[in-house]
Amino acid sequence: MARTAKQRTDIQIAICGSAGDGTIAAGDILKQAMAKAGYNVIAFDVYPPEIRGFGKCIARARITSEQVYSLKSESDCLISLNDSHAIPHVSEVCKFGTVIYEDTPVSTVEEGAHVSSHLAPAHLPYGVAFREISERITSSARSRNIVAVGYLAGLYDMPADVFHEVISGKFASKSKELADSVRAAFDAGFQAGVDTFRLHFDRMGAAGGRGKQTDLVMMSGNAAIVRGCLDAGIDTFFGYPITPATTIMEMLAREMPKRGGRLLQTEDEISAIAATIGAGYTGARAATATSGPGLALMAEMMGLGAMAEVPAVAFVSQRGGPSTGMPTKTEQSDLNLAVFGVAGDGQRIVLAPTNVEGCYKCAGKAFEMAEAFQTPVIVLLDLYLSNRYEAVQLPVKNPFAENCSKAPRKNASPAEYSRYKLTSDGVSPRAIPGETGRMHTVTGLEHDERGKPSDQPRIHHAMSGKRHQKLLPALKHPGITISKRFGDKGAVDVGVLGWGSTFGEILEAMIEARKEGIRCAAMKVVMLSPLPVGPVKAFMDDCNEVLVPELNYEAQFASLVTGATGRSVHRLNRVRGTPMSVGEILDQIRHLAGQSGKIAAE
Amino acid sequence: MTMTMTEHYVIIGNGVAGSEAARHLRQRDGDSRITMVSAGKLLSINRYELPKIFSTSADWRDFLLHPPEYYDEQNISVRRNTWVSHVDPANKLLMLHHREPLSYTKLLIASGGGRYIPESLNQFKDLIAKFGTYEEAKSVSDALPKRGHMVMLGGDMIGLDLARSLVRNGYKVTVIGEGHLFWPHRVEADERQQFIAVLQGMGINVRTDVGITSIKEGGRNKPERHIVLDNDEVIDADVVLSFCGLMPSLAFMAGAGVDIERGVLVNPQLRSTDKSIWAAGDVCQIWSPEENQYRFFYGWENVKKMGKIAAFNMTGADESIDTVQNEKLVTTKSGEIDSPFWQYG
Repeated sequence: MARTAKQRTDIQIAICGSAGDGTIAAGDILKQAMAKAGYNVIAFDVYPPEIRGFGKCIARARITSEQVYSLKSESDCLISLNDSHAIPHVSEVCKFGTVIYEDTPVSTVEEGAHVSSHLAPAHLPYGVAFREISERITSSARSRNIVAVGYLAGLYDMPADVFHEVISGKFASKSKELADSVRAAFDAGFQAGVDTFRLHFDRMGAAGGRGKQTDLVMMSGNAAIVRGCLDAGIDTFFGYPITPATTIMEMLAREMPKRGGRLLQTEDEISAIAATIGAGYTGARAATATSGPGLALMAEMMGLGAMAEVPAVAFVSQRGGPSTGMPTKTEQSDLNLAVFGVAGDGQRIVLAPTNVEGCYKCAGKAFEMAEAFQTPVIVLLDLYLSNRYEAVQLPVKNPFAENCSKAPRKNASPAEYSRYKLTSDGVSPRAIPGETGRMHTVTGLEHDERGKPSDQPRIHHAMSGKRHQKLLPALKHPGITISKRFGDKGAVDVGVLGWGSTFGEILEAMIEARKEGIRCAAMKVVMLSPLPVGPVKAFMDDCNEVLVPELNYEAQFASLVTGATGRSVHRLNRVRGTPMSVGEILDQIRHLAGQSGKIAAE
Repeated sequence: MTMTMTEHYVIIGNGVAGSEAARHLRQRDGDSRITMVSAGKLLSINRYELPKIFSTSADWRDFLLHPPEYYDEQNISVRRNTWVSHVDPANKLLMLHHREPLSYTKLLIASGGGRYIPESLNQFKDLIAKFGTYEEAKSVSDALPKRGHMVMLGGDMIGLDLARSLVRNGYKVTVIGEGHLFWPHRVEADERQQFIAVLQGMGINVRTDVGITSIKEGGRNKPERHIVLDNDEVIDADVVLSFCGLMPSLAFMAGAGVDIERGVLVNPQLRSTDKSIWAAGDVCQIWSPEENQYRFFYGWENVKKMGKIAAFNMTGADESIDTVQNEKLVTTKSGEIDSPFWQYG
């Protein structure tokens, strides 16, 4: 049992309420403020499929003074804005963690229906009159969520000034009266928190490990995708709304017109990808965004993109499937669809960022690669990464190249121009429609070097090879991490191979395992297609046991890796609709390390 | 076929009496539901040990009677940070202040006693600190500077326990008062001066010759309090506490139809005038056949014993509290005061 207050700040707050309680808004203010105060923040919001009504919303934010990579499985504090929704989550509060709840319900509740009746003996209860305070200060109960955030800030010694800044910014476009009222609600809650006798042991100072920051941006994965698109100079976007990708289109719809870009909401996903490929054909940097069901509809047009060698970018945020599945729950079960979901041998580039900063980089680099390798590029996220917030520091200088196209030689004669010329690197000179003397045919049919349809075996074989071989240099594309190893160098007992949003949990588990004396390493694989087989094999060679945790039932990445390397792995698969817990991965590492030890002893 | 009804024992209060009762209830009725209700945020603490807060850097976990795991293991639910607003014995229902009903089959009132402030000092109550809970004790401890001065109004045995702990740890203590000195002991006049002299010898400054006219808040700089005496003398203090005996905490019983005098009236088996309600600890007045009156029995040993007897009788036994006890205040060989009231641990 720790005897002193924690020196290292590592506090996870969960705010739970019903749709309409302002749960997500409260969480947003909290994470923005703490990022401003210089803390590392990782946040993830869970919301219901219903637009408004009685669904459950949870905003979780992990606030730390040191770098961390995932949310914790247990929160240090739970704020209940709706007891019926919060009660199932009380058990997720850690020992000596706090539960903050409404102390003055507006009406009688049934026996056992108040959250305080579900607290474990090791929980610390803080009942607060959110509603009364809100009504007293703002003449309305609507600011209960703000009072709650204020109380939390006061109780945990969070600096009030950064909350004031965030509230001012958030309500800048509203009336002054409203902004003042919200701020007053926050201050009243804050004072109540300050006046409360504290029994918990977590404290936060005025600034985090990095001091007060102005260049840190609190950003979701989808927002980072948007920022990457804009910095890469996106020209056109076509999309059809689908959770959890919709916010990409929403944000681009606000930002693109300011920069001369064009965005169109099409009638469906087929039109969206068709228009994206059409725009890419004309030389525009074009993209779409969708989820698994949308990608399924796009499969045929993706094949056209591969065959016609047209640059196009598709951002795909996975959710629980198949079919409509679980629209507001996370899953990593569209890997096979992203990598293999096409008629024929239609290989394309698939990137899967592992964190919010990675979303930014992958978005921008996807446009570069689409142009450089004349192919559709899929950037594969999932709901956990799309909606996850992290404090990120974006580069001051735009890191993305303006034009990566391989243009035809300027003085080549029209007779010489072959759009699909077989070259040493497989990439043919690409002319944009309308360029004088660069007439060529573009078709979904197999074709010869000039684009003329042909079903000759020799041509099909050569062109198939070209379309695959040209993608391999993508593994060396500058400015992007394709794969990376972390942890112990050299031979290890357990290696954990991961992709996408789960890698944060993998990294945390690996770090914990090393603290326990297990020789352990982890590798993230960002490029899923083409797969960096060399580095992956080298990593696996160093590991007595290889573990592959992922959020799907079929072990899709594990199968991809074993198919490409011929090595066996241990699979850890969960499809609960929630991120995988660090504890589960750590348990598996411990188990495998034990096995590894036995084998070594034998 | 007969159905056995599972009892739901509800205990109002999680002090020594309530905690002891819960322990014995669980031992005697393993299948029952047990719920304790407490206004405090903490699990049961031993309030008799609170004076130790001045001699240790320990936090609240060190004052717990049982670790949190105990409650899980014993399947005892503790509703904290809430209090009972009223009791409805006819429907065997409590209403908690946050508007949640709580039903019971058998109820134990062990809500203890709060500080009593004499009428003449009531107007200054906001300037008089409390010392009944861990939070209150810690606040006093934080407010009292090293070698600081505490003025104690009254000087009951709870207060004197704190006073002796404070002087041992280098603090200055002044006890002002006559009427409540040595409460709940009945000290005869001829012994009184002798015990006061012993207190003085222990380093406690005792003033029984003066009354208090007013208590004033200090300025920005310390001391925090000024106590104006009826001889115009002004005493400066960092903290003022009142130890003038206990006032049973049972406002929630108003209108419940259970007989109450100053405390809940119970027979020696600790049962109230409602057959489903028992009481234990500082909240109850027990019928003493020897004295032919209801009276309080204070102190850790008594309170603990009451918790046990109440639990036994709530589960079908028929045990009585011993209403004849040695309650003498004594002087030890080392020249200090000792009292059965201070026997705990």
